Amino acid sequence: MPAVQETIEQVRNIDVDQYKYGFETLIETDKAPKGLNEDIIRLISAKKDEPEWMLEWRLEAFRRWKTMSEPTWARVSYPEIDFQDIHYYAAPKSTAGPTSLDEVDPELLRTYEKLGIPLKEQEILAGVRKQGEPSELDAIDGNGGRKVAVDAVFDSVSVVTTFKKELAAAGVIFCSISEAIREHPDLVRKYLGTVVPTSDNYYATLNTAVFTDGSFVYVPKGVRCPMELSTYFRINEKNTGQFERTLIIAEEGAYVSYLEGCTAPQRDENQLHAAVVELIALDDAEIKYSTVQNWYPGDKDGKGGIYNFVTKRGDCRGRNSKISWTQVETGSAITWKYPSCILRGDNSQGEFYSIAVSNGHQQIDSGTKMLHLGKNTVSRIISKGISAGKSNNTYRGQVSVHRKATNARNFTNCDSLLIGNDCGAHTVPYIEAKNATAKLEHEATTSKISEDQLFYVMQRGIPEEEAIALIVNGFVKEVIQELPMEFAVEAQKLIGISLEGSVG
Amino acid sequence: MNLHATPQMTAAEQALVDTYGQLFSDLPGDTAVVVRRDEAVEALKSGLPTRRVEAWHYTDLRRLLSAVPAFDPALQAKEQPALVSGATVLPVLSGRATSVPRVDGVAIQRVFDRLSDGSIAPQLFDGDAVDAIGAINTAFVGDGYALDIAEGAEIAKPIEVQNLHEGGQAHVRFAARAGRNSRATIVERQTGAGEALVSAVSHITVEDGADLTWIILQEQPDEATFLGQTNIEIGADAKLTLFFMNAGGRLVRQEVKVAVAGEGSEFVLRGVNLLAGETHCDVTMVLDHEAANTVSTEVIRNVVTDKAKGVFQGQIRVARDAQKTDAKMACNTLLLTDEGEFSAKPELEIFADDVACGHGATVTEIDQGHLFYLMARGIDEKTARGLLVRAFLAEVIEDLDNEALVEALEEKLTAWFATHG
Repeated sequence: MPAVQETIEQVRNIDVDQYKYGFETLIETDKAPKGLNEDIIRLISAKKDEPEWMLEWRLEAFRRWKTMSEPTWARVSYPEIDFQDIHYYAAPKSTAGPTSLDEVDPELLRTYEKLGIPLKEQEILAGVRKQGEPSELDAIDGNGGRKVAVDAVFDSVSVVTTFKKELAAAGVIFCSISEAIREHPDLVRKYLGTVVPTSDNYYATLNTAVFTDGSFVYVPKGVRCPMELSTYFRINEKNTGQFERTLIIAEEGAYVSYLEGCTAPQRDENQLHAAVVELIALDDAEIKYSTVQNWYPGDKDGKGGIYNFVTKRGDCRGRNSKISWTQVETGSAITWKYPSCILRGDNSQGEFYSIAVSNGHQQIDSGTKMLHLGKNTVSRIISKGISAGKSNNTYRGQVSVHRKATNARNFTNCDSLLIGNDCGAHTVPYIEAKNATAKLEHEATTSKISEDQLFYVMQRGIPEEEAIALIVNGFVKEVIQELPMEFAVEAQKLIGISLEGSVG
Repeated sequence: MNLHATPQMTAAEQALVDTYGQLFSDLPGDTAVVVRRDEAVEALKSGLPTRRVEAWHYTDLRRLLSAVPAFDPALQAKEQPALVSGATVLPVLSGRATSVPRVDGVAIQRVFDRLSDGSIAPQLFDGDAVDAIGAINTAFVGDGYALDIAEGAEIAKPIEVQNLHEGGQAHVRFAARAGRNSRATIVERQTGAGEALVSAVSHITVEDGADLTWIILQEQPDEATFLGQTNIEIGADAKLTLFFMNAGGRLVRQEVKVAVAGEGSEFVLRGVNLLAGETHCDVTMVLDHEAANTVSTEVIRNVVTDKAKGVFQGQIRVARDAQKTDAKMACNTLLLTDEGEFSAKPELEIFADDVACGHGATVTEIDQGHLFYLMARGIDEKTARGLLVRAFLAEVIEDLDNEALVEALEEKLTAWFATHG
C-alpha cells in the first residue's frame, strides 16, 4: 500500500498530542447566543425557513428532553455537561446557497486542503480536476473514474453539494436535510423520526429539538445509486455543539453506499456532538453506511476533545433488505455510539463492522444492537478494539431474537488488543433468545500482540513501531475490507497515527 | 438497593420488613450482628433491585418476588441420605443445624454460635447496594455450619451440608476454610417441599496450596424461591473446583463471587442448568483475577424447555497487576421450546495487557446433523433427542475427577429427564 511510507513519516513526526487536523478556519460565522430554550429552537427553525410542523416537532422534543436525564450506564466518565453553555446554532456567513465552487469562501477551500481527506472529494471540491478526468490518486487505489458525491457539513450547515445533477438524473435526491425539509416535505415527514423516535434517548431527543443540518438521501425504487455518497462533518467554531441529522431512504430494490467522515479543530474545551442517523431500507433494498471518525481526541493530558454521543439506527423495514454499518473510530475524547439494525422484514440482514482505536485518555463505549423481529433474519458483528495509552475501550452490544423471529442467525466476534499496561479493554454483550430456532454465536477474546508475531516481523529487519502497525493492520483487516477503497487507505493511516506514542 | 427510590413497598418487601419485626428478638447475634441485620433491613426498605440495576438486568427481583411465605416454626424437615454413600452429613433442618458430627481434621461449628459470639459478623451484609441476597440472608439467618479444615489435612470422604425445608422460610449460611495444602470435597444440597423462600450464603476461603471441590446441588420444589450466593477467595497455588446443578425452583438466583487472589491459583467452574416448567433461573458470576499467573475456566451448559427462562451473567475482571492471566468462559444453551427463553451476558473487563482471555456464548437448538446421524441408525426421534441433550450435559459433569460424584450427578440427570424429558 503506497500509503504506508507516508504513514511512517507521519507517525515519526508527530507527537501524541499534535492533532493533525487541529487548525481553525478563520471565517465569519453566524452564531445564536449560548443556551437552550424555546426561543433558540424557534430561531433555528426560522433560520432554516422550516414549516410549522417541523417547529412543533422540535418543541415537543425539547419539552420531553427537559423531563429526561442523561444516561449513566456507559463505561465513560466526564465532568457534567452544562447544556446552557453551548451555542446551538453556528453557520458560516458566506454560505447562502453557493451554486458553484467559485462562490465558496477561499478559506473554506483551504480547510479542505488541510484536511487532506477524503482525498478525491477535496480535489473535486477544490476544482483541481473536473469530474471524469483521471486523478493521480487513481493509480493508488486502482479504481479510476470512481465518483464520489460530497455533502460537506461545516459547523452544522451544509456548504456545498456536488454531483447534484447527475444524481438527479438517476432520480436520487441527495441534499442537506434543511433543503429536504423545504423541497421534499412529504418524504421527510413520512420517514423522519420513524426509526429513532423523539423520546428515544436523552441525546437523540436533544438532537431532535436543535438539529441544524445533516444529509438527506432518497433512492427511488429499483435505482442503484450511480456513485458513493459522502458527507464531511467538521466542528470549527468554539463552544458549538454539532447536532446533525441524517436520513437515508432506500426504496424497493434500491442500493446506496454512504460515506461519512469527521474531524474537528484542536480545542482545549470539550465540544459536544450529538447526531442522529436514521436509515430505512424497504423491500430488497440495501444501504451501506461507512464512517471514519477522527474528531479531536484531546491532548496528552486528556484535556479537551469531542464528546461524541451519537444515535445511529437502521430499519430493515422490507423483505430481503440489508443494512451494513462499517465504522473506524479513532478520535473523540468520549465515544458513545451504537449503530444498530432493526431486522423487521423477513429475510433481512444486518451487519456491523467496527474498528475502535483508543489512545491517550480516550474513552470509547461503542457497539451495536441487532434486533431480530422478522423470520430468517441474519446478523453479523465483527468488532475490533485496540486500546493503548491510558484509554478505556468497551464493546457493548445486544443481539435479541424475538418470539416470532424463526430461524434467526447471528454471529458475533469481538476481539480486543491491549497495547501497554495502563489501558483497559472491556466486552459487554447481551445475548437474548426467545425462539428455539435461533442460532446465536458469540465469541470474544482479549490479548496483547503476541511476542512470537512481533519477533517474527522484527527479525526481518522491520523496526518495532512499524512491526506493530503491520500486526495491528492484520488484526483489523476483516473490517478494513468492508470499507470503500477511498476510506480503506485513509483508515489505515489513521490507525497508525492514533497509535503513535503507544509503543515503548 | 433500588437506585431509584420507590415510594411504596411491594407486598413482598413489606412482608420481609414485618417478618423481621416479629422475629427480631428470637434471632441469634451479638451487637455487631444486630447492627448488620438492621442495616440489611434498611436496605430492604428502600426496595428490592429492579431491571434498572445492571447486576439484576434480567431478573427483576422486585417484580418476580411477588409473595413471601410466612415463617412456620411447626414445620420440621427430615434429613436426607447423602448424595454419595459414606459422606458425613451436616443437616440444617428448617433453618436449624441439628447435629455436629466429628470429622478428623475438620473443626465444625454451628453458625448459630458464630452469630451469637459475633465472629461471623464481617461476612454479613456490608451495605453493598445491589446485594439483595446478602441483605435478605443477613436479616434472617439463624444457623448453618462453619467448617475449618486443618492445614495439610486430606479429607477422604465428602462432607455434605444440607439445607432442607418443609415450606415457609429458611435462611442459612455456610462458612468453610480450607487450610494450607489441605484437600477436601464438600457437597451442598438445597432442597425441600412446598412454597418457600430460601436463602443460602456461603463464604469459602481456600488457603495457599489447598485443593477444594465444592458441589452445589439445587433441587427446590416448583413453588420455591431460592436465593443462593457463594463467595470464594483462592490463595496462592491453590485450586477451587466449583460445580453446580440447578434442577428446580420457581425463582432461582445463584450468585458466584470469586477472587482469584493468590499468585498461581486456579478456579474451575462447571455448571448445569436444567430449566423446565415456569422456572426463572439466573446464574450470575463475578470473577476477579487479582494476582499474576492465575488460571480460570468456566463452562456452563443450559437446557431450556417449556416456559422456562434462563439467565447467565458472567463477568471476568482482570486487575492491572494480574499479568499472565488465562481466563476462558463458555456458556452453551439448548433452547428447546419457543416459549422458553435464554439471555446471556458474558463480560470481560480487562486492565492487564499480557493476558489471554476469551468467552464464547451460543444459543441454539439440537443440531439437525447430529439428529439425522442417530435417526439414520434406527433410533427414534425422541430417544435421539434425549441422547443428544444428555450427552451435551454429561460432558460437563464428567469433568469432575471423582467417579462416585459423577455417577450420583448423572443419576440426578436421569431423574430430571424422567420427569421433564
